[in-house]
Amino acid sequence: MAPRERIVVADGAADTAQIAEFERDRRELLRRGLGLGAAVIAASSIPLLLSVRNAFAASSGDAEILSSAIHLEQVAVLAYEAAINGGLLTPAFAKVVGRFRDHEREHADTLTTALTDLGGTPPAKATAADIDGVAKGLGDARSQADVASFAIELEMAAIAAYLDAHRRLIEAKLLQTGASIMANEAQHLVVLRQAVKRDPVPKAFETGQA
Amino acid sequence: MDIDGFLRDSLSRRRFFHMSGVSLAGGSAVFLTACSDDTKTPVAGPDESDEADVEILNSALDLELMAVAAYKTGAAKLNGEVLAVGKLFLEQEQEHADGLMAAIKDAGGKPNRAKASYDFPALGSQTDVLRFAIDLENTAIAAYIDALPKLGEGDLRATAAAIISNEAEHVAVLLGALGEEQVPDAFVVGKVA
Repeated sequence: MAPRERIVVADGAADTAQIAEFERDRRELLRRGLGLGAAVIAASSIPLLLSVRNAFAASSGDAEILSSAIHLEQVAVLAYEAAINGGLLTPAFAKVVGRFRDHEREHADTLTTALTDLGGTPPAKATAADIDGVAKGLGDARSQADVASFAIELEMAAIAAYLDAHRRLIEAKLLQTGASIMANEAQHLVVLRQAVKRDPVPKAFETGQA
Repeated sequence: MDIDGFLRDSLSRRRFFHMSGVSLAGGSAVFLTACSDDTKTPVAGPDESDEADVEILNSALDLELMAVAAYKTGAAKLNGEVLAVGKLFLEQEQEHADGLMAAIKDAGGKPNRAKASYDFPALGSQTDVLRFAIDLENTAIAAYIDALPKLGEGDLRATAAAIISNEAEHVAVLLGALGEEQVPDAFVVGKVA
């Protein structure tokens, strides 16, 4: 892979020379196997579930994580598209789902640009056959509520994956972009949970874990 | 004081920027030592990064403690389902604060305490409270996103991301309570105070 360059994937309040310097330092430390966080703060001190499902488990570097994330976002676009075309949604809910699909597409486009800037190659386009690999049940949906429940699973899987990525991403900008995407998926969850009369914010830490 | 003025004057976003200097100085020192060919030079230990994390976590804690106080203050103007939502969010902000306090202690730091009082703007109605809560949540989101890359430890970054996502969920619920678009943007970046 090409040497890592700083990338710009979004607007940049934190896109400063200081951050750039910090990133260089951290990359160098990681390369040397040190890491700024050599003394690990006990994970048990924070109510965060460690055994999240994670779609990025096999990934290591930023480019690999990005590639997995792009695949996940493409799958989400396809799933929401299929949901809209499935004939089970009211026009109002189809409009909501259409907006979510557009958001997922924006995520995929931004991540693809980031990957290309890193010198990576975007993954092969996801297909409808990939949907089941992320969340199951869309094919069996018989009602709008079924579709919403499927979409909740889909968004939870994405959030769990982004959560795990935060342990391993190195680039500052990617961490920040990943967090802003993860938070958007969490907002999708609120609307979907409300649509099926579930508690919209069941936990103080949104980990994508039920 | 109006809401924007309050957020500009009192919230910690600028402290994060200020702190980034502290944190960066620590990082650079470690880097320079690690780069040195002089093997006799003591390699900076983990303490510096712990200190940097503690400072960042304490600023986040300040925001969470303020949010707890704001939801307590605002509850007086909330009714019915919205009051229940306010209470739930208060509890969740307190959970964040508790988690941050534990992390700060684990890192050998001393957690900041809540202020005796906060100079909140006048909140005359439920709508005022909802709008103020949205502003506070968005400011916290922006602050956490700024701080995220400066946290040296992976689990802390993941935890920060889980808190950001929870605050974003709060924003979606609060916007819904105002009858507004709940998910206005594909990227949740919060609000620069």
